[in-house]
Amino acid sequence: MKASCEHHHECMKVIQRIIDREATAEEEAAFLTNKDQCLPCQEGYALELSLKKAIQSKCSVPCPEQLFAKIRAKLFLLFILISILIPLFC
Amino acid sequence: MDVSVEEKIIPDYKAKEIFEKEFMPHLDAMYNFALKLTADEDDAQDLVQDTCVKAFRFIGSFEPGTYAKAWLFRILKNNFINDYRKKSRGPSKVEFEWVEQSISSDEEYSEPAYFADLHAETVQDMMGDEITAAIQSLPVDFRMIIILCDLEEFSYEEMAKILHIPIGTVRSRLHRARAVLKEKLVEYAKKKGYH
Ligand SMILES: [Zn+2]
Repeated sequence: MKASCEHHHECMKVIQRIIDREATAEEEAAFLTNKDQCLPCQEGYALELSLKKAIQSKCSVPCPEQLFAKIRAKLFLLFILISILIPLFC
Repeated sequence: MDVSVEEKIIPDYKAKEIFEKEFMPHLDAMYNFALKLTADEDDAQDLVQDTCVKAFRFIGSFEPGTYAKAWLFRILKNNFINDYRKKSRGPSKVEFEWVEQSISSDEEYSEPAYFADLHAETVQDMMGDEITAAIQSLPVDFRMIIILCDLEEFSYEEMAKILHIPIGTVRSRLHRARAVLKEKLVEYAKKKGYH
């Protein structure tokens, strides 16, 4: 197993595209065959994956309930305005 | 607004239906995006409300069946930037860091090749608040692209449309944003004494 990777920058770009599901099938296959022989790429892959998963699972909060109500109230007002104004001008 | 929309009159009942069916399900996602951008709950709520009102006004130009979430996010992003520009003319407003304005923005740059100090396990052990704080400490362009990609799972093509940038810029900006985020996380990890 290689302890250093001579093209790690390029590898990291491919790794991120793989994780984002934007890599081509060839890129993904090539990476998976080489991964076992390259420690930095293995660790880089694990790191990128854990970061993406952590952001997805830990970084969102539910929208405050009152926001739904506020928005509906605002739109209701807009409706009334429109239904008063449009007959006036048409 | 660079969204190619125009006000078109459609019947009220239809507008209401589109709004409830296509837009309301994305309110959580919109709120999260707004919260990461503004870092303030009240500002985030205002931003989402403004976005909804604008989306409603331009609802006639929304094509049902197309991706409502991307459409809404584009309006939200434009709203945020316009607001920011207005506010930044005032004297006492917070100075945002804009990557767009710095010369090195999306060019190649020298990233630390190998994050030997940051391990997958360290990230797994981190609290959501710590990762959120690290994201919020990024320049706004970086913050946006990380949220769109990692939290909301937009495709590169959708992000290009939302952010109004070429897809190559999406790739390079995302790559760079992640490198900076990892640097921040390394600092956090050291401070907090994670291994
Ligand atoms: Zn490698």
